[in-house]
Amino acid sequence: MQPAAVYTRDRCVTGIHGLDEILRGGIPYGSTVLAAGTCGSGKTTLGMEFLVRGALAGEACAHFTATEPSVKLLENIRQYAFFDMNMVDSGLINVFDMDVLYSWLGLEKASFELDDVHALIKAIVDIVNTIGVTRLVIDSVTTLCYKIKSEQLIRDFLFTLGKKLATLGCTTILISEITSATENAHWSSFGVEEAIADGIIVMGDVERMGHLLRFLQVVKMRGTHHSRAKHAIELTPLGVMLTPMLKWGAQSDKTARWGS
Amino acid sequence: MMMFELDQRIAEQLTEVALNSAVQVRCGNSNAFMVTASTIIPLMQMFEMGGVYISANRGAVEIIQAFESIGMDVSNIQFIDLVSSGILGGTDVPYSNIHFVDSPIMLESVLLRTLYILRTTTSVRNFVFLDSVNALAIYNEDVFWQNTFTPSSTPSASEKFSLLCSMCQTKPLHWCYQT
Repeated sequence: MQPAAVYTRDRCVTGIHGLDEILRGGIPYGSTVLAAGTCGSGKTTLGMEFLVRGALAGEACAHFTATEPSVKLLENIRQYAFFDMNMVDSGLINVFDMDVLYSWLGLEKASFELDDVHALIKAIVDIVNTIGVTRLVIDSVTTLCYKIKSEQLIRDFLFTLGKKLATLGCTTILISEITSATENAHWSSFGVEEAIADGIIVMGDVERMGHLLRFLQVVKMRGTHHSRAKHAIELTPLGVMLTPMLKWGAQSDKTARWGS
Repeated sequence: MMMFELDQRIAEQLTEVALNSAVQVRCGNSNAFMVTASTIIPLMQMFEMGGVYISANRGAVEIIQAFESIGMDVSNIQFIDLVSSGILGGTDVPYSNIHFVDSPIMLESVLLRTLYILRTTTSVRNFVFLDSVNALAIYNEDVFWQNTFTPSSTPSASEKFSLLCSMCQTKPLHWCYQT
């Protein structure tokens, strides 16, 4: 008897060293992935490398920055050899300041209501549709959600945005800032992002005898089998590099900075 | 320049070592440098290898200067210094081929830095020289033996990696014999 053919979803190959192996080939196309991490854990670099690898393959990419001005972001990322400013100049990587977007939409206000959220979704989706973006990073969704006062509205915002981007075939990384990630903690600031997202990549630091070692762990990824092991990462000029974390390192979680 | 006599028997033995293999070099404290030089010089000159030298015993500057004192050009070797950043020496050094890792306990960082160098090197064949197993074992205790540090086990390194040499000084013995 022939075994039944196994259906596998098409993948967005991240191109990030080691990550595609963890994900058994890449992120399923159209997924919305939450990259949650503590400060300095490499979230922005991971997000930018994701776009650069896409741009190198000829994909149109977009980056919405809410945590730092785009000029500063690009100056910081230029130190990495994997980044080429020509990708921005040629329009393969499009960087948008959220502040400018808010200004265009008349959303320069402390908190967003339902109509504001819909206007924001429409603006992002229009940009993605117009440029033909297939890889999108929002850095960070936490900063954006601070303006949305109700959990229900945050949930609606993320669900609707994710659904519309998936329809357009756009694979999205939502960067989420977390201050700690204990056994009882959430992978997101508001607790609702993690439930909506198709995938969760957690990044942080393991403390080992006073030294901080960056780690990355894929906690959830719908539509693919994946490793759930903790991996040590280094931010090298060539981009993010991963290797499985030694078991001893995993044991030190009890006293880890991210897990204390 | 210091007069120095290499141990030719090491070079002869190296000709019998297959590529993509790991070799443990055992030596005493007194002849450690002679054995190191006798191992590395043939790798560079006979086999035209580039290399990664992981120093957990001493600062890389001290090692480079020792090599230079016997007329050895080590500009084609990238050094990963595990002691100068966090323990002694400092990182303000006059050599561009030294990479620093904060501590010998950061084995994953050492592995990733090694892989990074192997990915960026232009040498077709490369050796990784670990100096020494004893020093790493002192910092890492049992975990070192549970998780043997070897870049050869990482598929992405296999194209560039040719030989892993790990120095194992015969004192203190008890670390070596735990394997």
